[in-house]
Amino acid sequence: MEHFALWLGGFLTLGIFSFLYKDNPWYKLTEAIYVGISAGYFVVVYFWDNFYSKFWVGVFPHKRLNEAGELVAGVEPDYWLIIGGVLGLLMLMRLLPKVGWISRWPLAFIVGATAGLWLINYFASFVMVQIQNTVTPLFGADYNASLFVIVGNIVVAVGTFTGLIYFFFSKEHKGAFGSAARVGIFFLMITFGASFGYTVMSRMSLLIGRIDFLFGDWLGMIR
Amino acid sequence: MSTKAKEILALALIFAFSLIFYIGKVLGWGAVRFSTTVSLIVILLVALSLLWILILTIRGHLVERRIVFLYVGIAVALPLFMTLSQRIAISPEVEAVYNTLEGLPEGSKVLVSFDYDPPSAPELQPMAEAFLYYCFEHDLKVIMMGLWPQGPMQANMAIEKVLSDEKIKSKNLKYGEDYVNLGFQAGYEFVIQRMGSDFRSMFPTDYRGTPYEQIPLVKNVKNFSNIDYCFNLSSGFPGTREWVQIAVDRYGVTLGAGNTAVQAPQMYPFMRAGQLVGLLGGMVGAAEFEFLTKWIGKGTKFMISQSFAHVIVIAFIIIGNVAFFRSERKTGLKR
Amino acid sequence: MSSHPMTSRPLYFIILSFLFTFFPSCGGSSIALAQAEPIDIATTQMIPDSEQVVVEPVTSLIAADHKYDDGGMIDLSWVPSIDDQLVASRVIGYKVYRIEDEGEPEMISELAPGSNTYNDQSVERGKLYSYFVSTLSINAETPSVRTAPIEPQREWLNYELLNVLIMALVLGGAVIYFIETARRGKKLFVRKIAGLEAVDEAIGRATEMGRPILFIPGILDMDDVQTLAALTILGRVARIIADYDTKIFMPVSRSLVMTAGRETIKASYQAAGRPDAYSDDMVTYITDEQFGYVAAVDGIMVREKPATCFLLGAFFAESLILAETGNSVGAIQIAGTARPAQLPFFIAACDFTLIGEELFAASAYLSGEPKQMGSLKGQDVGKAIAMAAILIGILTVTIGDAWNVEWIQNITTGLVDVFSTR
Repeated sequence: MEHFALWLGGFLTLGIFSFLYKDNPWYKLTEAIYVGISAGYFVVVYFWDNFYSKFWVGVFPHKRLNEAGELVAGVEPDYWLIIGGVLGLLMLMRLLPKVGWISRWPLAFIVGATAGLWLINYFASFVMVQIQNTVTPLFGADYNASLFVIVGNIVVAVGTFTGLIYFFFSKEHKGAFGSAARVGIFFLMITFGASFGYTVMSRMSLLIGRIDFLFGDWLGMIR
Repeated sequence: MSTKAKEILALALIFAFSLIFYIGKVLGWGAVRFSTTVSLIVILLVALSLLWILILTIRGHLVERRIVFLYVGIAVALPLFMTLSQRIAISPEVEAVYNTLEGLPEGSKVLVSFDYDPPSAPELQPMAEAFLYYCFEHDLKVIMMGLWPQGPMQANMAIEKVLSDEKIKSKNLKYGEDYVNLGFQAGYEFVIQRMGSDFRSMFPTDYRGTPYEQIPLVKNVKNFSNIDYCFNLSSGFPGTREWVQIAVDRYGVTLGAGNTAVQAPQMYPFMRAGQLVGLLGGMVGAAEFEFLTKWIGKGTKFMISQSFAHVIVIAFIIIGNVAFFRSERKTGLKR
Repeated sequence: MSSHPMTSRPLYFIILSFLFTFFPSCGGSSIALAQAEPIDIATTQMIPDSEQVVVEPVTSLIAADHKYDDGGMIDLSWVPSIDDQLVASRVIGYKVYRIEDEGEPEMISELAPGSNTYNDQSVERGKLYSYFVSTLSINAETPSVRTAPIEPQREWLNYELLNVLIMALVLGGAVIYFIETARRGKKLFVRKIAGLEAVDEAIGRATEMGRPILFIPGILDMDDVQTLAALTILGRVARIIADYDTKIFMPVSRSLVMTAGRETIKASYQAAGRPDAYSDDMVTYITDEQFGYVAAVDGIMVREKPATCFLLGAFFAESLILAETGNSVGAIQIAGTARPAQLPFFIAACDFTLIGEELFAASAYLSGEPKQMGSLKGQDVGKAIAMAAILIGILTVTIGDAWNVEWIQNITTGLVDVFSTR
C-alpha cells in the first residue's frame, strides 16, 4: 500500500507541475481529483468537527461510566446550541428562492456578532496600541539612541503618517497633500517589495517541500 | 521529431528515471551525493548559463518563461544532493523566542497552537519539531491544540518525530502527564475567547477522546492564567493576529509565534508594540531556531536550497529588468 | 442589488460593541477588600524543629477583588519576608494557598523569591475564598496569617476601557453622521481612484475581442467585508456586460457567495431589460478548499481564455497563481484586495490594482450607496484623528525630551493615555 501511495503522490505532484509546460490531460485529471477530494474532505470534516462534535454532542452529550460502571455526572446538555442549530437551518433557506429572504436573519446575526466582537478587539489591538507605540521620541529617550535607531524611528513615523495620507479619500491628492501621498505610496511600494521577497521565500519553501518528497520519500535519492 | 513525439519521449524518460531510482531505493541503494568538487562545478555551470542568458537578453533574444521554471527547479533540487552547508546567523526576533523559553522553570505549562495545514508544513513543521524538542528536553509540559482541522495531525507528526530522538526517548515521557493533544476546535477566534475563561468548555475531550478532567496535565488548567507561555504556529486565518488580539490584549498571555514568510512581515508591528515576545519567520526562522535548540532538522537542511533559489530569482530579476529597459529603449516609449 | 445586513443600522453595531466591551457582567456590587486576620496556623512540621531553617513570613497580605471583571479574579499583594530582603537570603520561594468555602487549603501557585503579588484567575462568583502565603526555605514553610474570606464580585462597567468607548463612539458617530448626510441627498466627495476608469475599458475590450470576462470575488465567505465590496463592484460590472451582451464566468469557493453572485447578476440583467439572457451557469461553485479552487480556476483561465479578469476580494496564497495565469493568457487584469500580503503580487502581475481600502472606496464610489459612502467618510475622520495624534505625539515627545518642558511632557502623557488599552 505504501508503494501505491508514494507512486500516486509522485504522479499527482508531477501532474500539477506539468501545467508549467502547458495545459494537458495529465494536469486536468490531477486537478479534477484534487478538486473532488478537497470538496469531499471538507464536507466530512465540517460534518464531524462542526455539526457532530459541537452541536450534536453538545445537545446530547455522551454518558460516561467510571471504573465501577456507575454513571458519572458528566457534561450537562447545552440547549443554547439549539438556537444556533435553528439559525443554521434558516441559513440554508437561501437555497430555496421562495423563502430565501429568511436566510438574511441568521446572516445578520453572524455579521452583527462578528462585527461587534471584532470592532473593539481590532480597534484596541490594531489601531490604538499601534498609535500609542508610534508615539516614540525620534532621537530616543534622553537623546541617546544610535544613528540606526534614529533613522528607524524617522522611517516609521514618516511612513505611517504619509501612508495614512495616501488612504485619506476625502481630499484630492493635490499640492502638498498630494506630495505627501506620493511619499506614502513610495513607502507602501517598498513595503510591498519587502513583503514580496518574504513571500518568494515562502513559496520556495513549499517547492522545496515537494522536491524533498519527490527525490527523498518517493525516489530515495536524498536522505 | 514532432513536438508530440518529443513530449511522449520526455514522459517516457521521466517514467523510466523514476522507476529505476524507485527500484534502487527498494533494493537499498544509498543517497545520491555530489562531492564538494562536483557541487562547485555544477554551481559554476549554472552561473555561466545564467550569464549566457543575460548576454542573449542584451542582444535581444528573450528567454521564455519555461526556462525560468527550469532554473528555479534546478536551484531548488540540486543543492539537496550537494555536500555544502550554510552558516546560520541568528536574528533578534528568533533569539527572543528562545530566551523566553529559557526563562521558564521546569514544569512550566506551555500551550502550543497548531494553526496550519500540510501545504505550510515545509516552513512550520521544522519550527514545531524544534520547539517540542526544546520543551521535552527541558521538562516543560506541553499542551497542544489547533484552530485548523489538520493542526492536531501536524502536532502528532511532530511529536512522533521528536519522541523518536534517543535523548528524548530516554526520558520516557508520558502522554497525559508530560504532553497532551487537545485536538481541533472549530469556531476561529471565538475559541480563543472562550479559552480565556474556560479551556474545558472548548475541549471537553482530548484528541483521543479522553475527558478533559481525566487528563492529569490539564485537569487543573482552567484558563490562560494557568499557562506560562503560548506559542502559535500560523499560516493564515485564524492565526497569530487573532491570538494577539484576544489572548494577549484581553488576557495578558505571553505569546511567541512562528509564521510562514508570507505573514511574518505583518507581525513586526506586534513585536514593536510588545504584543509578541518573539517571532520565527519562514524557513530561515526555523533554521535559526533549530540552531539555537540544537535540533538539526529540515529547516537547516533546506536552507542551502532556499539560498540558491533566491540567487536564481535575483538573477532573473536583473535579466528581466535588462529586457524591460532594452525594449523601452527600442520602442522609445517610457511608462 | 439586495442590501446587505452588514450595511444596515450602524447604531446596532455601536450598541453591540458597547455591550461587548463594557458589560463583562450583568450584576454588580462594590469592590470588597479583605484585611488580614490574626488566625494562627502552625508552621509546617516536615522535619525536626532543631533542623528547620525557619524564615520570617510575609506580612500585610491583602486579598482584593479585581476591579472591572466578571468576578473571576482576586488580586493578592503582600510585603515579602524580611529574610527575602537580605543579601544572603534564605528564602527560596513562596507558595500561595487558597481555602474555598472553609474547605481544605489548596496550593494554587509557587512563586520565585522577591514576588509580592499574585492574580488568582480561577475563582468563581458565589464562593468565599481566603488565602495565605507560605515562605519557603530549603526545608521548611512559614505560612502567613490568613486573609478574611472574600467573594469575587462582577462589575457593570470596565472603566479602564473608557477611552476605547469614547473613541468608538466618536468614530461610530462620525459614520452615522455621514450616512445620514448622504441619505439626505448631499453629495459626499471621494477622490478619484485610479483603476476605476479601467473597468469600463476592460469590459469593452472583452466585448470587442469576443472573449469572456472572469470575475473572482475572493475566497472568503459573505461575512467578510472584502467579499461584500467585490459583490458591489460585480453589480456594476454585471450591468455593463448585460448591456454589451458579454459572457461572464464567476467561479466561487463558497456556496453563499454563489447564491449572492447569482442574485446580483440576475438583478443586473433584469435592470438591463434582458432577463432571458441570464443563466445560473454564469456563477458556479467549485470547492471550499483553497488550492483545489485555484487549480480549477487556472484550468478555466487557460481553457476559456478570458479577455478580462477581475480579482477582487480576499485572497491568500493563491493570489499570485491566479494573477500569473491570467497574465499568461493575455487577459487585462484588475485586482483589489485589503490583504497586505497579497498586494505585491497583484501589483506585479496585474494591470490595475486597488490597494487596501481603495477596494472599499471603489465599491462605495461605484454603488453610490449612502451607507457605504458614509462609512468611508466616517473612517476618514478616524484617520484624521490618528494622523493628528501621531504628529502631535511625536513632536511633543521629541521636544519634551529635548527641552525637558513639563507641560509638553504632560501633553504626551495625556495623549499616550488616551490610546492606552491596558
